Amino acid sequence: MGAYRADDDYDYLFKVVLIGDSGVGKSNLLSRFSRNEFSLESKSTIGVEFATRSIHVEDKVVKAQIWDTAGQERYRAITSAYYRGAVGALLVYDVTRHVTFENVERWLKELRDHTDSNIVIMLVGNKADLRHLRAVSTEDAKAFAEKESTFFMETSALESMNVENAFTEVLTQIYRVVSKKALEAGDDPAALPKGQTINVGSKDDVSAVKKVGCCSS
Amino acid sequence: MWRNYGASADSFYQVRPECADDVPETKFRIKVGKTLSSRRWHAAFTPEGYLDIGKILSRVCRGVRESIHQLEVKFGSSYWVVMIQRAHLRNESNYDNVGGILLSLLSKVHYAALKEECRVMFPLIGSGRFISAPVITEDGDPILDPIVLQELNAAKEPTSVGQVGPSDGFELVKEHDKKVIQWKLSLHQIGLDVIRTDRTLVFYEKQENLSKLWDILAVYAWFDKEVSYCQGMSDLCSPMIILLDDEADAFWCFERMMKRLVHNFTRTACV
Repeated sequence: MGAYRADDDYDYLFKVVLIGDSGVGKSNLLSRFSRNEFSLESKSTIGVEFATRSIHVEDKVVKAQIWDTAGQERYRAITSAYYRGAVGALLVYDVTRHVTFENVERWLKELRDHTDSNIVIMLVGNKADLRHLRAVSTEDAKAFAEKESTFFMETSALESMNVENAFTEVLTQIYRVVSKKALEAGDDPAALPKGQTINVGSKDDVSAVKKVGCCSS
Repeated sequence: MWRNYGASADSFYQVRPECADDVPETKFRIKVGKTLSSRRWHAAFTPEGYLDIGKILSRVCRGVRESIHQLEVKFGSSYWVVMIQRAHLRNESNYDNVGGILLSLLSKVHYAALKEECRVMFPLIGSGRFISAPVITEDGDPILDPIVLQELNAAKEPTSVGQVGPSDGFELVKEHDKKVIQWKLSLHQIGLDVIRTDRTLVFYEKQENLSKLWDILAVYAWFDKEVSYCQGMSDLCSPMIILLDDEADAFWCFERMMKRLVHNFTRTACV
């Protein structure tokens, strides 16, 4: 438990959302990453839950605030609040249920409609341990991810396979995007990129750089 | 009602041994004088078999606020209301109150009729089986998911629990009635949640109890088209079918509870 406890001393705070159809294993991915726990008897998620965990990326401490929501269509009313300030997303489907993969397109559209264009997206095929029940091939998912320019990984929250990798990869990529922006801004504050940006340091934004001089000066 | 004073309230619900470590033990313990005992409960009945509601309510109000609170946390706020009303109804129907008997019968007939309506629309209702994959698109086209077909075929076998006749084949025609489409869209979500409801309990090791929960929630989704099914409702319905053997009773108790909680489940409330 101690090893996973979120430390209040961090350099970056990134909001990451978990999305995907009901029952694909979003909550167990989150509990595996944040507490190294998995439950076969877990209940359906009501509304929104979230958990945090800090990891090291290069020499920085990155605190991930991961939001998990109910997959049911009914809860889509909370969408805009759910996505606000998110800089990363894990779009989860269940490799044993093809329909959850078919719905990935809808989720992706909703995600892109509500978030910054720089958001880091990873397509996650969960329940990869259920080899005999597989209904979505790795190739199909990989091809889809390439077409949509998202990252891709197959995971098993039950076997703890690739869960750490998936989250770490997303957080590292966000770190790269954000630190590159900070660097650009540091070089020439007047040359801030136009249009949509990740609002680093913005007050109403959940994700923020805590100790980067460029934004406060 | 309570068999073991000092025992944890959890002891009334058998937890699967392999899940014992995952289930936190409740802090609520049954205390002598503070908890409504079965002796007190039975003493509240008149020799004619009527429940003296005043007597039991004052008892409840005097000393067991904490118990009620704990029970409400576990079973929902209507628990006592429902139990007392049920006891009252039972007493009346046991004796000479024809109205009570009729009311009780009517509620069962009403539920059976609702369930039959649902079964005609989707033959897995009442078959002892259920689905957790979508059966229809939003446009009303049937979905031939292998998981659904497997369940449907299994339900048709003569060895199955239900009485699915040969005329009740799952017809793969486009559905045009919006109400029916909406209802069918809810079925797989109910299934997905049924398999995740109170799974630490021995009670849900039985397939028939899982499908009972699915049936009741599916019938409710048809009965109350405004609310239909919303995640969270399976957890509230679960104690009803654990407590009440009769499916129609469980349905109406759940329906009554939903009347009081409905504002949590409307389409605009899930925000």
